[in-house]
Amino acid sequence: MSIETAAPPGLECVQVSKTFGSVTALDHLSVTFSAPATGLLGANGAGKSTLLRTALGLARPDSGQLRVLGLDAVADRREVRRRVGYMPEHPCLPADLSAQDVCVQLARMRGLGRRDAVRRTSEVLFAVGLEEERRRPVGSYSLGMQQRTKLAQALVHGPDLVLLDEPTSGLDPAGREEMLTIVRRLSADLGIRVIASSHVLEDIERTCDEVVVLRSGALAAQRPVLVEQALTGPVDLLVSGDVGEFARALEPLLAPLGIRVAPTATGDIGLNRSSDAALDVVRDLAAERGVGLRHLVPAARGLEDVVVDAMGVHGG
Amino acid sequence: MAEDLAGTSQEVGPRAVLHDIRYSRYSGSLRPRSSAVASFVASSVRRPLGLRRSAGSKVWPFLLLAVAYLPALAVVAVPLLVPQVTLQPTELISYPNLLATNGVVLLAFVATAIPSMLTRDRRDRVLALYFATAVSWLEYLVGTALAALSLLALIVLGPMLVLFVGSIATADDPGRWIADNIGDLPRIVLAAAVVVVFHTVLGLLVGSLTSRRVFAVGGYLAVVLVAPVVTVLLSTVLSDEWPLALDPASGPIRLAAAIVDGTVSGPGGLAWVVWTAVVVGGSLVVAARYSRGSDA
Repeated sequence: MSIETAAPPGLECVQVSKTFGSVTALDHLSVTFSAPATGLLGANGAGKSTLLRTALGLARPDSGQLRVLGLDAVADRREVRRRVGYMPEHPCLPADLSAQDVCVQLARMRGLGRRDAVRRTSEVLFAVGLEEERRRPVGSYSLGMQQRTKLAQALVHGPDLVLLDEPTSGLDPAGREEMLTIVRRLSADLGIRVIASSHVLEDIERTCDEVVVLRSGALAAQRPVLVEQALTGPVDLLVSGDVGEFARALEPLLAPLGIRVAPTATGDIGLNRSSDAALDVVRDLAAERGVGLRHLVPAARGLEDVVVDAMGVHGG
Repeated sequence: MAEDLAGTSQEVGPRAVLHDIRYSRYSGSLRPRSSAVASFVASSVRRPLGLRRSAGSKVWPFLLLAVAYLPALAVVAVPLLVPQVTLQPTELISYPNLLATNGVVLLAFVATAIPSMLTRDRRDRVLALYFATAVSWLEYLVGTALAALSLLALIVLGPMLVLFVGSIATADDPGRWIADNIGDLPRIVLAAAVVVVFHTVLGLLVGSLTSRRVFAVGGYLAVVLVAPVVTVLLSTVLSDEWPLALDPASGPIRLAAAIVDGTVSGPGGLAWVVWTAVVVGGSLVVAARYSRGSDA
């Protein structure tokens, strides 16, 4: 099962602003979530939860337009509500009801008939691994089981998009592992669009195709989780000894190959391409001058670097 | 086709069916919003009664229900089971007396069941879930109010209907009795509605102001237990009956009694003003509390 590429984006924000008193939660945010699974990253107060709540109609944007699955989040709220599943971060389940009753009740409140609601409940509880415990009161569940119940209720009506607010929050390593596996399955196997907010980059890397980073309510970065590293793409080179002298010697040797040499911001020697011939030249020159290659790495930066820079996290 | 031991072939139906219980996308049609609200009402009625919950949680609500129905069932059973008793059930206990008798049961039921219909959802923080993907705040409030009305109708209207039907059953000429007394039926329903609507709004109003059940129960009890004392004191001090109209415990029951038998003790006009003020004002306050559509 896959998500049709012609389908409208899961979430689309155009100049969306939202303030709470003197606090600006969303600041003219413009971003489109079109990947099958998008991770929403940001520090506390970056606007992640406000964005999800605004998309669900729990908060009304002060200005701008927010579209969910191509529908206006304010004007078409009723239709949005039917096509979206939501898993809040905080505990939100009636403690005295069983997981089965919670899911059946929410399925019926979303418009499913009784028979369909019961059948769908069995399916989703099986999918999240709660089929054996479905009749116990939710209050007696472990945190991991409660998280899975929250996920099950978000899926029970067959949504096109699920919004997961910190799905691994508070889980132990085993529970987290199970939850990540389930979340990855949603978009990869079941064709459900996923937008998951998290503080943990590794969770996003394992479950999402794209990452969106918010900072102070504005878009700080958006990029795919996996970036194809071209084998002949730009590289950064660092040698032992006098780097400048090595660069000056290298430049005329690479010029006939059409490769430019330039210093990078971190003091490395930057090569705009890295064909086999160019790498041979580098190797031979290093051997001739008796210098060591300290590193020769692709210039494209890793996801972690991008996210850390975008979140404005410095030092350590 | 399969062959038996004798070598003759015969038709064999499937001996087992495999059901695929893995998750799949839902492709069925969705029902109208009214169906969603109706299912919410049904589940909201079940919870205070302890249905689909532990046996212990059924004890208190069903005890109150039993106590509420006991007087009506008793006065119907006596003429039915004891031939020497020639009195009609309505002669043994009138509708206004039945209302007054069940007044304490009603207050106990409202205190323990109605405010917590709102407080438990705020406490469990379920509202974000409901308002985000299931029902709007207005549908939620309408559903909760309908569930509360249904529950209180069980306590208030149910026993009076038992009395009415029991009177038919014990009448010498049931057909004639119905012809003579059918006019009581709409009055009974209207009288019950006056009591039920008032206490539904009052209970939900108190429940909307807090997420703590204990405060909601205490708040409601404070209103219906302290106010009568204050109004009686005021009435005594002023040597006038008008303060009695302010009593939220007995006021609606007195109005209901007036509807059923045409007599009213105490100032009826002011009691109607108080009734209207509580119902309209309380509804507006509850709506205002939830109209933001958030769980805050």
